[in-house]
Amino acid sequence: MNGRRLRTLLVREVRATLRDPFTVITLVAVPLVALLAFSSVLATNVTHMRLGVYDASHSTVSRRLLADLAACDAFDPIPYATRASIEAALVAGQISTALVLPPDLGEALARRTGAAPPEVQILYDGAETVLAGNADAFLRSIVAASGARLAARDLGTRSRAGAGVGGIEVVTQALFNPQLSGTPFMVAGTFGFVLSFLTVLITAVSIVNERLQGTFDQLELTPATNLEILLGKLLPMGAVFTLDVLLMVVVAGLVLGVWPAGSVLFFLLVATFYVAFSLSLGLIFSATSATAAEAVQKTVLFSIPLVQLSGFAFPIRNMPIALQWLCELIPATHFIRVTRAIYLRGAGPLELWSELLFLGVFGVALMALALRTLERRA
Amino acid sequence: MGGLRRFVTNVLAVAYRETTVLRHDKAFIGVVAAQPIMMLLLFGGALSNEPANVPWAVLDQSHSAISRRLVEEIGATGYFLSPKRVASYQDGRDLLERGGAVVLVVIPNEFQRDAFRGRPQIQVLLDGAEPLTAARIGGIVTQVARNFDPDVRGAAAQRADRAAVASGGAVVTTRPRFWFNPTLRDRDFFLAALAGMLLTNLCFSASSLGLVGERESGTYEATLALPISPLEIVLGKLVPYVVICYGVLTIAVFGAGIVFCVWPNGSWLAIGALTLPFVFASLSVGVLVSALASSTTQAVFLTNFVILPSFVLSGMMFPYQLMPNGIREIGAILPLRWYQIGLRRLVLRGGDFGDVWVPFVALCVLFAVLLTLVRWRMKPRLG
Repeated sequence: MNGRRLRTLLVREVRATLRDPFTVITLVAVPLVALLAFSSVLATNVTHMRLGVYDASHSTVSRRLLADLAACDAFDPIPYATRASIEAALVAGQISTALVLPPDLGEALARRTGAAPPEVQILYDGAETVLAGNADAFLRSIVAASGARLAARDLGTRSRAGAGVGGIEVVTQALFNPQLSGTPFMVAGTFGFVLSFLTVLITAVSIVNERLQGTFDQLELTPATNLEILLGKLLPMGAVFTLDVLLMVVVAGLVLGVWPAGSVLFFLLVATFYVAFSLSLGLIFSATSATAAEAVQKTVLFSIPLVQLSGFAFPIRNMPIALQWLCELIPATHFIRVTRAIYLRGAGPLELWSELLFLGVFGVALMALALRTLERRA
Repeated sequence: MGGLRRFVTNVLAVAYRETTVLRHDKAFIGVVAAQPIMMLLLFGGALSNEPANVPWAVLDQSHSAISRRLVEEIGATGYFLSPKRVASYQDGRDLLERGGAVVLVVIPNEFQRDAFRGRPQIQVLLDGAEPLTAARIGGIVTQVARNFDPDVRGAAAQRADRAAVASGGAVVTTRPRFWFNPTLRDRDFFLAALAGMLLTNLCFSASSLGLVGERESGTYEATLALPISPLEIVLGKLVPYVVICYGVLTIAVFGAGIVFCVWPNGSWLAIGALTLPFVFASLSVGVLVSALASSTTQAVFLTNFVILPSFVLSGMMFPYQLMPNGIREIGAILPLRWYQIGLRRLVLRGGDFGDVWVPFVALCVLFAVLLTLVRWRMKPRLG
């Protein structure tokens, strides 16, 4: 290893990268667009959802219930005149939730010793699974609370159910993210996405292009050793992507208001290591591809399931057990887990040692492999 | 009339040439065949938002029969692994912090006493680091607790009681029905629109690759020298992809049906009809993207970074209805948004053409706009 030779190679690489405006734009635009696009898409609650209402009861009780529903901004009630019209609207997809109030709602609520409490029917468009799942919990709690209030007001006593067998009062508190907002979750995941996808892609393409243009062969004629060529290639790229991470941290903080709960320095350290890991992966892809387009296709084919299976969007524990094992073998899984732990839970190295150990071992192994590919080719 | 006939002949001639080229591109054929299978298995068998195997912890300070029964009932919902017992509040918080549990249920000392007085209370701590799971799990635990009957009677009596009261604590019973997908399976949600994902992938990359590759190798200029207009060249090059798209659509529909038993409930004809404007619109997006790129590498780059956001913003993966206002409107200019709305209506809700005319018209409008843009961009430019 010779310091001067390495420095020359580094300067060359930085110049080559900065000369190409397309690469520079990609390096800045892709992380930012990904950050902004992904951060807003995951919603855990419902706001202003169209709620079809068929009120067969036309009583003061039903009107109060609907007023309660309209008061919270989760639902926008839309009245329908008949049960058939509400069902048609559901099939046509105009509404995805519908509330059917029975004709005897008022009387049933007043009749406190009645055999059964009044039944309100809620219809969901199950084709929209996430939407229906989110809306269900909301709507039920609103109807239950409103019903209890109405009964108490009308009767001046505690509800019949509450008197003897009443349920348990639940005090819920969400740690780390009190509003259960999807934004910090997705922001933290986006780091994993960008560093697993963009980094590998850019590295692979850059090396293949160099080989195709014959500049790689020229480099190998110089006194520089393989290790020096490798480092001369990877160090500037690593620096660029570390800057990218920094840029994303700042933009996420200033634009989206999401700062890491844990140590920023610790996060940057882990991210830098993961960048080195992705660079090695890009190197391996480039070594096995004949043209740039092939390298890109290979990376994309490999990266899409990788991103899907890394827990970026879908929790891993929901998958079949065999796939869960596969997911554990993907480094992006561990990186995303670490990122989220740092960003949301404010975790430090002590809590994350097992994940970090895996990333470390896997990373070093891959870098060794990358070095060997380069040697074999030489 | 002669003009139209020449137009069609020219388009078909270019299409014939393109087919011949494609037939020899083994990598392309491999990708076209492998991708549907991969995505089918991923979205059919692996990816889901439904909570499962959720790790949880219990801090039971009450040590009573009732508290144990409550823990059992929460566990019996089937979403959870067996609970971890923690000895102190701090231990529980540490566990949440390490990610060892998504939810911590705290049953206080005076739980049993309060249960007899009629106002028992528990605390539920959720790991906000996983908002979607936490929200669902919080709802599930709350529901179990609300329906829980803390009275110390025999289990059979309680069950009978609960059947009568249906949902204790509330005076109004709610009876939810999930139409079209009664068990709320995510699998159906994804598989219904699987074709949308596959065709987006194919259309975006195919047209950009084909056109830029041709420009790069210099054959585009050669074709320009022929007595054919640029529009005819572009259309001719896209015709074979339309045929391939219908092939992929068939694979997606039959694959989802045969492997996962998710057959379209609605009109097959409408699915086919809806696909045509979608394929044309998506191909036009690919052409536009390719016009921005100067090399194949750049084109592939650009298309890939258009594909993923369009999956996310279109509502393909997460419901677009819940996205914030500006973002939802951006998603509306993506062809995939309208196609997935239409597909889900046809496949899951069993609609026919009358139910999807809005997405159909939207796709046609998008295609018209994109075609104008393409014509404007594809003026013969040499060099």
